[in-house]
Amino acid sequence: MTAVPFFAPLIVEARKLNRSLAALLAVAAPSLIAIFTFFNLLRGKAPQPWDMWIVSGSGIWAFFMLPMSVTALTALVAHMEHGPKAWDHLRALPLPRWRLYAAKTICVLALVALMSAAVLVMTWGAVTLGAAIKPAVTPVGDFDLARYAAIFGKMYLAALLMIAIQMWVALRYASFVPALAVGIGGTFFSVVATSAKQGIYFPWQMPVNMLATEAWRANTALGLGFGLGVVALLAGLAHLSRREVL
Amino acid sequence: MTAAIETRDLTRRFKRHLAVDAVSMTVPDKAVYGFLGRNGAGKTTTLKMLLGLIRPTAGTARVGGVDVARDRIGAAAKVGALLEAHGFYGNLSGRENLDLTRSLLGLPKREIERVLEVVEMTEHARRRVSDYSLGMRQRLGLARTMLGAPPVLVLDEPTNGLDPDGIADMRRFLRALPERTGATVLLSSHLLGEIEQTATHVGILSHGKLVLEGELARLKADLAPEIALQTDDPARATALARARGFEVLAADDGLVARLKPGEDARTASAALTRALIGADIAVFAIGARSRSLEGIYREVSPPVPVSQAKT
Repeated sequence: MTAVPFFAPLIVEARKLNRSLAALLAVAAPSLIAIFTFFNLLRGKAPQPWDMWIVSGSGIWAFFMLPMSVTALTALVAHMEHGPKAWDHLRALPLPRWRLYAAKTICVLALVALMSAAVLVMTWGAVTLGAAIKPAVTPVGDFDLARYAAIFGKMYLAALLMIAIQMWVALRYASFVPALAVGIGGTFFSVVATSAKQGIYFPWQMPVNMLATEAWRANTALGLGFGLGVVALLAGLAHLSRREVL
Repeated sequence: MTAAIETRDLTRRFKRHLAVDAVSMTVPDKAVYGFLGRNGAGKTTTLKMLLGLIRPTAGTARVGGVDVARDRIGAAAKVGALLEAHGFYGNLSGRENLDLTRSLLGLPKREIERVLEVVEMTEHARRRVSDYSLGMRQRLGLARTMLGAPPVLVLDEPTNGLDPDGIADMRRFLRALPERTGATVLLSSHLLGEIEQTATHVGILSHGKLVLEGELARLKADLAPEIALQTDDPARATALARARGFEVLAADDGLVARLKPGEDARTASAALTRALIGADIAVFAIGARSRSLEGIYREVSPPVPVSQAKT
């Protein structure tokens, strides 16, 4: 056997995902926000600023659709192996196990990044289309792409701790129930306590805190979400690689 | 010559349960080694330790001379494994499934055609695995173990769940494997007939201990033959045979009288026949036969007593 290319596990994961329903999920979640925004716009009578539409779309994404999408994506990626009981085969192969888990994590991170960008693009598209159909509600003000992209980028980085937790639970447990329970529970508290002060310490609420008006809240949530997220991702990879799958 | 697989005092404990107890086994190069034992005897746990999937509590395991605990990746590079759970992706074709593993192993594309030909699956390779029969999945699993032509193949219960035709088909493959691949095969099973028809060497695991190991033909030759007999009065026949120094056991098809080592089977059989007839016991059938693997197995691997089995 020759030396295994470093990126082989990543390419293999991408090929497996390509034949799964991950693409459908990646399109469905941003589309739902865009559809909601589109009909909400058509209900209006007076024009609203671009800021209102984009902040509204990013808010829905951050406190509900992002955690739900991460829950579904991590469960899907993990169950590609749990379902057919493929772990023994994969873990017996002559390559470092952490690369198998890292490949799955990178795929999830890439998909979430694509979905974040899709929410921004589709929200813009929905508002533009709605304004074309009903010119009376054409948004006012500038469409500040750089600012909006920065908001979505920070939300993405702040979500890292939540993604690391969901990823670990989904890969650790063969049943999808623990991963769904954690994801649904986290999203539930994110929705019912969106404006809670303690939200900056709660992984599922860290992304939505990027919209906080007080800078320290946004910065704290970003620092904790990203910093602890990196640590949790590495710790999760180390634990999964070393643990025995009985 | 380095043994293909060698373990020394390999032990694995799960909390209070000792699953594998100081197993020292040697699988010679190019052998088909039948790893026998009842369900729960510790076969799969031993195989998982050989593959580096679980760590031993004590002892060592070497594959192709490489210590699995010290260099898992080096040892894994020498093994192809077919485990009970195949781990195939049902939504992909057989070829695509093989290609995923080929990519992970960094092998050239032509490897897929080679292994598909070995297991005679080329014509089915484009079908989705979810449409495969269990026998076809087992063959595809065998093909996957052969990717990269590893010198050792570890096959865990490869005939489990197969119908009689599938079992016959798999036996044919297993017998031909060393010749086709040049590999050493470690084959675990609880089916005696399967091992007797395919293995050159056997190791018998009982309650986590390796109770017998050796070349199958030699093991059978070393044991004294036995006399199988059917009579109209098994109780009297048993008493009479015992009085003449035979060890007598009840078998499914009558009685079995064990000879002493070195005793001539034909002479003993004739003497026993004369004695039975002289005692007015009708003899339906009598004849010497060599010991079967089943006989060896039953002797060295007693079942768990009911009281212990419940604990």
